[in-house]
Amino acid sequence: MIETRTKRKIENIIALILCTLAALIGLFWLVFILADIVVHGIGAFKLSLLLEDPAPPGVEGGGLRNAFVGQLMITACAILIGVPLGVLGGTFLAEYARGRKIARFISILSDIMVSVPSIVIGTFIYAILVRPLGHFSGWAGAVALSIIMIPVVLRTTEDMLTLVPWTLREAAFALGAPYYKVIIQVVYRGAAAGIFTGILLSIARVAGETAPLLFTSFNNSFFSVDMNRPIASLTVSIFQYAMGPYDSWHAQAWAASLVVMIFILFITILGRVILKWRYGKR
Amino acid sequence: MASLYKKNPVDLLFSSITAIASFSVIVFIVGIFYVLLSESLPAISRFGVLNFITSTDWNPVRESFGAATNIYGTFITTTLSLLIAVPVAVGIAIFVTEIAPNFLKGPIGGAIELLAAIPSIIYGMWGFFTLSPIMSTYIEPALKNSLGKLPVLEILFRGTPMGIDLLTASIILSIMIIPFTASISRDAFNLTPAVVKESAYALGATRWEVVKNIVIPYSKLGVFGGVVLSLGRALGETMAVAFVLGNNHRITTSLLDAAATITVTLANEFTEADTDIYLSSLFYLALVLFVMSFVTLAIAKFFLLRAERKYSR
Repeated sequence: MIETRTKRKIENIIALILCTLAALIGLFWLVFILADIVVHGIGAFKLSLLLEDPAPPGVEGGGLRNAFVGQLMITACAILIGVPLGVLGGTFLAEYARGRKIARFISILSDIMVSVPSIVIGTFIYAILVRPLGHFSGWAGAVALSIIMIPVVLRTTEDMLTLVPWTLREAAFALGAPYYKVIIQVVYRGAAAGIFTGILLSIARVAGETAPLLFTSFNNSFFSVDMNRPIASLTVSIFQYAMGPYDSWHAQAWAASLVVMIFILFITILGRVILKWRYGKR
Repeated sequence: MASLYKKNPVDLLFSSITAIASFSVIVFIVGIFYVLLSESLPAISRFGVLNFITSTDWNPVRESFGAATNIYGTFITTTLSLLIAVPVAVGIAIFVTEIAPNFLKGPIGGAIELLAAIPSIIYGMWGFFTLSPIMSTYIEPALKNSLGKLPVLEILFRGTPMGIDLLTASIILSIMIIPFTASISRDAFNLTPAVVKESAYALGATRWEVVKNIVIPYSKLGVFGGVVLSLGRALGETMAVAFVLGNNHRITTSLLDAAATITVTLANEFTEADTDIYLSSLFYLALVLFVMSFVTLAIAKFFLLRAERKYSR
């Protein structure tokens, strides 16, 4: 009797210690990776990284101004394409098609599409936008990223609109407002913070994407703002520089990684804070 | 509700625009499948389906392509990463839901989820410059000298430890999927009714017994869905693996050998494909990957939906 009790207690303590260890392992990786990027990144960061274009291979100095500008342009264009489609699509699921089978079907498909390998989307865009036109282009990269954004924005918009109480819409209907006015003036306002968070998180998701840009926007060692031509991006430059043979390239890759990581973590945490402040959960 | 918006022409217009936007998701999924299929038709007609999947020959010079080495690499890295990640992730979920004091639950859960926010290129950088040297100088020689001396396990640790191999890639992948499994498991655990747990505590059960006999059986559907979802994500991970796997088209039993996954092959060779049949074979690979991950994710979604329905009753 007493023996089984001690045995149960020991088993309990061992299991609890193992679970605590698991949490520590998770935190260890997070701290390890973040600290590693910060240490290497700060050591390698120079202002010239932002202000100068790449030097010829093997020559010291230079920067990644072209990649910063290219990344901003590709991401901005992806937002311009992806956000309206995502928000409007989510509106259809939560409002006009609410409760219908088609809404549920599209919702499930979007959930699946959120996790579809991004490199597959890159090959798809290569087949429909790069090869027919005969050249890589910034637009192709932007479209690839927007395809990744759409399901993310669409699902958060749907969830956030569903959270707006139905009685609020009925109040507006009772005043004689048509449905589209109810959606735009009442429902969107009620869900604005949530939709904004969804957009932020989708930006965080695509800002670090590399695989879909490899065969769409490709890369460009020169400064270019022409979206019809190959354009440099930070992530593809990091890949190229990290795999390259020069120490100065490696240093720039670390510094660029630090910038990308700070940007993405900032947006992610900002999104979380807004969600917590507005909806009081997670 | 339907009659509400059919009377007003602007409403009809707005509802049509939103409908078109949401149907874009279907268009993309069907479009990806159709385009990949039509692009890979030359390779399909030349190499067939079964032959392509089982052939280990990947030779651009002789224009002979088989996917077996890539599928094998993808299979080994995802399986190994799941084996490493799932126990840790479930442990984290148990810690966050049942063990940690209340003021730690939020911060620790949030910190683990931040692992999912780190982009894969950063995992790749870190893996290539930091983890890989650690693996080749300390961990892999140690494994080789301990487990590598055992009779059967020995085949897993043959070759020189270089740090650019299946083991390193799997460890990085496992770190990347921990947050997905952990957060879904945590949500599933949280749905266990407090009354049931309290009843078990009242009968004198220890905390571990409550977790083992009440919480896990109650939430196993959700946890399983989370694991399959992580599998689906691991299948398609590209950049993190591309840094540390090498690009070596052969089937190897040793975890200390370089290999190739479908994603790594695509990332490395797509822009270099110089013949039509080469490019078509790469599209064929992308199609195989798309179908594999779509089916896996659909299965995951199926289990998660079933779990949701079970708990909402």
